[in-house]
Amino acid sequence: MRISEQAKQESRSRILEKAAELFTSNGFDNTTTRDIALAAGLATGTMFNYFPSKETLGMTMVTEALGHGTDDFKSRRTGEEDLNEDLFLFITSGLRRLQPLRPFLGPVLERSLSAFPRKNVCLEGEAARSGHLEAVQEIISRHGFTTAPDYVAMTIYWSLYLGILAYWTNDESPNQEDSKGLIDYSMQFFVQVISGNGANTGGEHAE
Amino acid sequence: MQSETENRVQPLDILLDTLPKESTSDPNGLHLAKLITNISNKRVPTSSFSRIWTLGSLQAKVTAGYFAYWLRSRFVDADEKQRLKSEAHLAAALELFGTMGYLRGAVMKIGQLLANLPEVVPDEFAEVLSALHFEAPPMHFAMVREVFLDEFGREPEEVFAAFDRQAFAAASLGQVHRARLHSGEEVAVKIQYPGIARTIKADLRNLRLLLQPLCLTKDWQNTLEKLADIEQMLLMETDYEQEARFGKDARLFFTVDDRVVVPRVYDEYSTKRVLTTEYLRGCHLDEFLAGNPSQAERDHFTHLLTVATFRLFYRLRWLTADPHPGNFIFMEDGRLGLIDFGCTRVMTDEDWLLSCESIAAVLDRDEPRLNRAIAKACLFDDPQEMSAHHLETIRDGFYWFMEPWVQEGVFDFGDREFFLRGIDNFMEGVRKRYTRCVSMALWSNRFTLGGRAFCYRLKGRCEFRKIFKQEAVGVHQR
Repeated sequence: MRISEQAKQESRSRILEKAAELFTSNGFDNTTTRDIALAAGLATGTMFNYFPSKETLGMTMVTEALGHGTDDFKSRRTGEEDLNEDLFLFITSGLRRLQPLRPFLGPVLERSLSAFPRKNVCLEGEAARSGHLEAVQEIISRHGFTTAPDYVAMTIYWSLYLGILAYWTNDESPNQEDSKGLIDYSMQFFVQVISGNGANTGGEHAE
Repeated sequence: MQSETENRVQPLDILLDTLPKESTSDPNGLHLAKLITNISNKRVPTSSFSRIWTLGSLQAKVTAGYFAYWLRSRFVDADEKQRLKSEAHLAAALELFGTMGYLRGAVMKIGQLLANLPEVVPDEFAEVLSALHFEAPPMHFAMVREVFLDEFGREPEEVFAAFDRQAFAAASLGQVHRARLHSGEEVAVKIQYPGIARTIKADLRNLRLLLQPLCLTKDWQNTLEKLADIEQMLLMETDYEQEARFGKDARLFFTVDDRVVVPRVYDEYSTKRVLTTEYLRGCHLDEFLAGNPSQAERDHFTHLLTVATFRLFYRLRWLTADPHPGNFIFMEDGRLGLIDFGCTRVMTDEDWLLSCESIAAVLDRDEPRLNRAIAKACLFDDPQEMSAHHLETIRDGFYWFMEPWVQEGVFDFGDREFFLRGIDNFMEGVRKRYTRCVSMALWSNRFTLGGRAFCYRLKGRCEFRKIFKQEAVGVHQR
């Protein structure tokens, strides 16, 4: 019997929902795909048709959250932001959507977004990365940069972003406010790098 | 850029010339100059919101200069060996000082205070100080929005009918934006820098560590207690809910006829980190003076300020310990606005009794009684335990403080001779390190000097004694 597209979508949503619940209550590492299938009322094999691995499941949640974050960013920006502020708004909009996933985000990001060479590249992770960087390029070009930044600039950006994510998932300050300082500084730094100014003088804060 | 740098070097030289020198160990101030140059050439990494006060900035050098002078004055009586050791500590202390966040800003308030006391320092130095901005550059609007989402779960434009992206004023721990409520009222919205309270705590922990080498000097315990007190006051300033309560309490004590306004607090738009109050249309002292006001206008505002201060003092037992010009609004319709209650010290019963006792002793011209009160305030059991000069200096200061209280008729706060006598007395106390005192005195000194400096700049007069008698009814019965 063919299952309808609607039923498929419902199963997919249910799996994501139950997985998020289990990851939050038991931790990512202590949750098995079997637990998730059981909670979603599916056979483990059936669940694999939707998500080939636990990592893919986790990363799908991240990708969806970041996608919503990008939508939020687009509707929130006023057009009056300078580049630094725009990037700040972009990153914080994403983090707000990631907030519910924060309790189990560490291991998910570590496995799916690691910058080091791996045997099994997580396709969802790769998609999240390229989607994010495309959005960054779009922001940069809005601020008058006619040529896309080269791999050095984008590698610097991505390193900063991963650093922010890592710090933010561990940030115990109220509302992760320490991370906000870090984001602000990271983006100031990145803007200086691609603008080619201020890098050696301390910018506006130096005498 | 180059010429800018050159322009800025010059004031530093002026500063070094004008800083007090140690007559024995460093008569030309060369050593002090070297120390300051050393630290200001150091590159200290900045972090989060403390970026504003990088050590390379002139403001920081000015403050570091005073800080160095202060630390070093603690060792003035030490022998040579001890002095060398203490110089090493001093260098380490200054280095650590450079890494502090808020405290650098707090110490910079010294600079701010001096800038408001133009008579204390030579003219050139006063100009340098007033040209400096002791305030933090603003958070960008995206950061403000983050604070709003955390505090209200909504964007500023959703919370308010209109919200200015640009801050119109800096506050000591944040910045102030103008906005309009959906019901139409114009408001001022103060927003705190994220993480500032933790920065303050960390700073004071560091400060205590760096002051450790002083622990064998006399009065160490008193220094520690004062630090604890300063920390408590700074942390109080980070609590906007508390400030809102002060504002609401104060507001109850002024009627329309008083012509003194404490802005209304909007609770539903206020949290621990965001404080929304009625916007008062008017200007600050500098702008008021720039308009070349008549003597009658100056006297009018001096009268209102005196009424307001006495009212808060006698009805609520408050010392508004930060009488900074930014906290007063000269309103277009002639009213005086009081806008910042973040640094309000509520006197304890003990402080209050001691304060009333000292005031009554002067009013009754009972010097032995005043001496006893002074001894108590300086933490001695008996005036006999104080050196004659110590007692005399503090007493002269108190008589100076009380001069307007005992003089019948109009008192002229613009009188240069009067103002200078008070400042000289204060500086003498600092030079002789007569700093041991109950913690309340720390705040009452700020309160008094700040208020007097304000009225001096205003060149205002008022019937001070008459106002005192009206406001103190029931307290000093005679």
